[in-house]
Amino acid sequence: MSYAETEVLIIGAGVLGAATARELSRYRVDVTLVEKNVDVGWGITKANVGVVNQGKDTLEFRPEYRRSHLLWRSLAMMEPLCAELDVPFRKVGGWEMCWDMKMKEKLDKLARRTESLGLGKDRFYWYPELKEMEPNVSPKILGGLHDPDIAVVNPVYLTQALVENACDNGVHLMLETEVLDMKAGHHWFEVATSRGDFRARYVVNAAGEWVDKIAAMVGADDFVLFPIKGYVGVLDRRCEGLVNGLVSVLPEEPGDMNIVVPTVEGNLLFGIQLQINRRGDHSTTEHMARKALENARRLVPDISRENVINAFCGFLMLRNYEIGWHECEVGMSGRVPRFINMTIGYPGVSASPGAAAEVVEVLRKDGLKLEPDPKFNPRRKGIPDFSRLSDKEKSELIRKDPRYGHVVCRCETVTEGEIVEAIRRGATTLDGVKHRVRAGMGRCQGGFCGPRVTRILARELGIPESEVTKKGGDSTHLSCRVKDILGKEEGDG
Amino acid sequence: MAERIDVAVIGAGPAGLAAAIAAREQGAERVVIIKRSERLGGLLPQCIHNGFGLLYFGEDMTGPEYERVFMRRAEKAGVEARLETMVLDLGEGREITAASSRHGYMRFRPGAVVLAMGCRERARGTLGIPGGRPSGVLTAGTCQRYVNIEGYIPGERFVILGSGDIGMIMARRLTLEGARVEAVVEIMPWPGGLIRNEVQCLHDFGIPLLLEHTVTFVHGEGRIAGVTVARVDAERRPVPGTERFVPCDCLLLSAGLIPENELSLKAGVELDPVTGGPVVDENRQTRVPGIFAGGNVVQVHDLVDWVSWEAEAAGRAAARFADKGKMPFAGKVRVSPGENVKYVVPQYISGKEDVTLHLRVTRPGRKAALRLGGKAWKRFRSVRPGEMIIEKVPVARLSQFISGGELRVDCGRGETGEEA
Ligand SMILES: Cc1cc2nc3c(=O)[nH]c(=O)nc-3n(C[C@H](O)[C@H](O)[C@H](O)COP(=O)(O)OP(=O)(O)OC[C@H]3O[C@@H](n4cnc5c(N)ncnc54)[C@H](O)[C@@H]3O)c2cc1C
Repeated sequence: MSYAETEVLIIGAGVLGAATARELSRYRVDVTLVEKNVDVGWGITKANVGVVNQGKDTLEFRPEYRRSHLLWRSLAMMEPLCAELDVPFRKVGGWEMCWDMKMKEKLDKLARRTESLGLGKDRFYWYPELKEMEPNVSPKILGGLHDPDIAVVNPVYLTQALVENACDNGVHLMLETEVLDMKAGHHWFEVATSRGDFRARYVVNAAGEWVDKIAAMVGADDFVLFPIKGYVGVLDRRCEGLVNGLVSVLPEEPGDMNIVVPTVEGNLLFGIQLQINRRGDHSTTEHMARKALENARRLVPDISRENVINAFCGFLMLRNYEIGWHECEVGMSGRVPRFINMTIGYPGVSASPGAAAEVVEVLRKDGLKLEPDPKFNPRRKGIPDFSRLSDKEKSELIRKDPRYGHVVCRCETVTEGEIVEAIRRGATTLDGVKHRVRAGMGRCQGGFCGPRVTRILARELGIPESEVTKKGGDSTHLSCRVKDILGKEEGDG
Repeated sequence: MAERIDVAVIGAGPAGLAAAIAAREQGAERVVIIKRSERLGGLLPQCIHNGFGLLYFGEDMTGPEYERVFMRRAEKAGVEARLETMVLDLGEGREITAASSRHGYMRFRPGAVVLAMGCRERARGTLGIPGGRPSGVLTAGTCQRYVNIEGYIPGERFVILGSGDIGMIMARRLTLEGARVEAVVEIMPWPGGLIRNEVQCLHDFGIPLLLEHTVTFVHGEGRIAGVTVARVDAERRPVPGTERFVPCDCLLLSAGLIPENELSLKAGVELDPVTGGPVVDENRQTRVPGIFAGGNVVQVHDLVDWVSWEAEAAGRAAARFADKGKMPFAGKVRVSPGENVKYVVPQYISGKEDVTLHLRVTRPGRKAALRLGGKAWKRFRSVRPGEMIIEKVPVARLSQFISGGELRVDCGRGETGEEA
C-alpha cells in the first residue's frame, strides 16, 4: 500500500486547526490540513457568537486552569492577527450586568479578582449611567461591569483567512477528507481517510466535536468531554443599534447564559441556551428557541419574535462538566507520543492564537525541526466588502470590474464581483458563498438571491445547476430539470 | 446622472410599470424606472397560471401576458428605464444612491419618488421552525422561479407549509410536473389564499389541505428527509400526541408575504406595523413629502389588478408633486380599523375626495356587515382574511361617516345594510 506522507497532519479545519496550520506555515515543515467538510470553519466554529473574550467574564478563568493561560496569552495577539489577515475586528466593549444587590456582590468580587490578576480595572455603572451607553436594556437591570476591551470577530472569516494564508505559505489543504481510522506506529501514524491513506510523523487532533473519538482511535483519549448543545438566535439587521456592545447578565444558575451581542456585520445574536445533548444532532428545538427569546427579551425588551431571522446550534465540548466547565485539552497526549490533542470548549476562538503558538512550542520541544521560512508572508487581503466602501471606492471598483455594480443579494447588498471572488477563494457551495460574502445571510435567507447565486456557482465551477449544493454531500437543492422527473417516476410503477 | 428627473420609480414589477405610465400620462416629463435586473418587469413572468387582468381588462390573462401589456404601454408612454441598477439608499431630500454595472455608482435627486419594491416571502428563520438545517427548504416563490424560469424542479416529494396563493398554485404546478405533493399544511382554521385557488389548485387535484396543522420539526442535515406535522389547538400550539412524520425531499414555505420596505425605512418613512407597508394617504403619499408608494410595498394584494390601480394613483400624485414641488399630506381624517378589521389602507384621508378603502378582516365570518363610522354600508354573505375587501366611497357620502377626525371601519356580524 502506498501512502501520502506528511510531517504534521492536522485533523480539522476549525479555528484551532486553522490557527495551528497558519502558525506552522512560518516554518519550513511539511504540513497537511484535512477537513471532512467541503469547506473550512463549518464545525463548532460556525456555530459561534464571535466574542473575543477577555478572560475575566465570570469566575471561570482561574490561574490554575490551563485554558486561562492560553486565553490570556491570546489577548494581545488577536487584534494584530486580524489586521495581518484583513479580518474585521470590532472593539465594541461588553457588559456583565446584574438584577439585584446579591448579584452585584458577585460582580464586585469579580472586579477585585480581575484587578488582582492584572487584567485591568473594570468599572461598575449603576443603571442610570449604564443607560447612557446601552439605552435599550431593561430598566430592571441594577447595573453592570463594563469591559471596554471586549471585541467581536466573525470566527468563520477568521478561519478562512487563517487557512488561505497558511495555504499561501505552503500548507496542503484537503477538503472532504474524513479521517476514518488511525494506527500509531513507532515512527509514523498510519491514517486512513475517505481520500486515501496517509503517513504522518505528528498528528494534531483538532476535530472539534469529534476530538475524543479521533483520540480514541489511537488510545489517546485520556480526557472526558461533555457535549453541551448551545442555541443561538439571529436578529434582523433592523435591530442594529439595539445593543452597542456585548450585553450579558451574570448567570443566576450555573450554565444559564443570557447574552445579546452585535456581530461585525451588524446583526445581533442572542442566546446561549444550553442543554446536554447527543452529539451530531445540531437541530434547534422549540423549547430552546422559546427560552432563549424569553431571556433576551427580559434583558432587551425591544427584541421581538418578528425580528428573529435565523437560529443555529453548536456544541460546547466541555471538560469536567460536573465540576464546572473550566478546562481545555491542548498539548501532547500523555499516552501516545507525537499525538497532540487540541480542544477548547469555550472560548476556543478567543484562545486560538495562543493555543496555536502553544502547540508549535510543544512540537519544537518534542524535536520537530522548525526552521523559519524566509518566504513566509504573514499578510492576506480580504474580499472587498462593497457595501462598506466609500462612494469613491465604490465608483472605482465598478469601473475596474463592472460585476461589482451588479447587486445579487439585496438584503445584504452583495455584488456579483464579491461572489465570484468568494468562489475563486474556495467557495463551492451556497453556504460557502454565504459564509464568505453574506449572500443569503439576510432576512430573506436566500429566497431572492438563491437561484442567482446557484447560477453563478454553476457558471464559475463549470457544473450544471442541479449539481450545486447547499453545503456539499447530499445537500443538493435542485432535483433535476423540469420534465426529467417524469422519466424518474416510471420506475416506481 | 446630474440631469433632472421628475419622477423616479423604484421597482419595475406591475406596480412600478403602472406608476410610471400614470406619471407620464399626468404630464411628468422625465419618468425613470430604476430596476435591478437586465429587463423591465417583475415576478409576473414566473406566474404562468391564469387569473390576471379579470378586473382591469375584463379578460383572463396569464402573468406574462399581463406584464407584456404594461411593458408595451410603458414604452409607448415614453417611460425611461435605468436597468441593472440597484438603489442602495434613499436619503435626506429624496436623494437616491444607486450602483450599476452599466452606469457605475451614482447619486441623484428626483422631483418625486414612487416606492414600488413589492414584497418578499417569509423565510424559514422568521417562521422559527425547529429542527435541522438541511437543503430542500425554500419558499414557494423561489420554487416557482426555479420551475418556471430556470427550468429546474427542486424535489420530487413535497410538503407545503402555509396555504398562501403561491403555495397552492405551486402545489398544482408541481403535481402537473409529476412531483408528489403530500399535503398543504395550514396552521389557521381557514386557508390563507383565495377560494378559487383552494378549489382549482388543491381540490381539483386531490391534494390534502390540513387545516389547523403545522410543521413542528424539520428532519435531516444534508438533504431534508421529512417533517413532523402536528395538529394545533385554539392557541395555535401543537397538540402533543398528534405528531406524525411525513417523508419529503422538499419543504415549501407559503406562509405570508412581507412588504419590502428596507429602503423606505432608510428614507425615514413611517410604516404601519400591521400592513408592514408605509402609512399613506389617499394619494399614496407617505409621511415623507415627495415619497409615494403603491402596490405590494404598501399592502399585500390578492390581485395584480389592484396593484396596478393603486400604483397608478401613486404615480399620478408623484407627477403632480414633481410639478408643484409640494403636496400636503392628506392627514385630516384618520381611518381606523374597528371590529374584525385587521387594517385599512389608506390610513389617512382628506375627506374631500372620493376614496377607495382596502381592508382585510381578522376572522372569517358569515353575514358580515361593513360599517363606516358606525353606520351600515354594505353586507357580505361571507368574509375571509384571504380576500381583500375593496370599497369605493364617494365624497358626497363620506362626511356623514366621519366624526372627530376619524373614519371608523367595522366588519363584524350585522343585521342591517345593503346587500352585497
Ligand atoms: C454556541 C456557541 C457559542 C460560542 N461562542 C464563543 C465566543 O463567543 N467566543 C469564543 O472564543 N468561543 C466561543 N465558542 C467556543 C468556540 O466556538 C469553540 O471553542 C471553537 O470554535 C472550537 O474550534 P475547533 O477548531 O476546536 O472546532 P471545530 O470548529 O468544530 O473544528 C473541528 C473541525 O474538525 C473537522 N472534523 C471532525 N471530525 C473529523 C474527521 N474525522 N476528519 C476530518 N475532519 C474532521 C470538523 O468538520 C471541523 O471542521 C462558542 C461555542 C458555541 C457552541
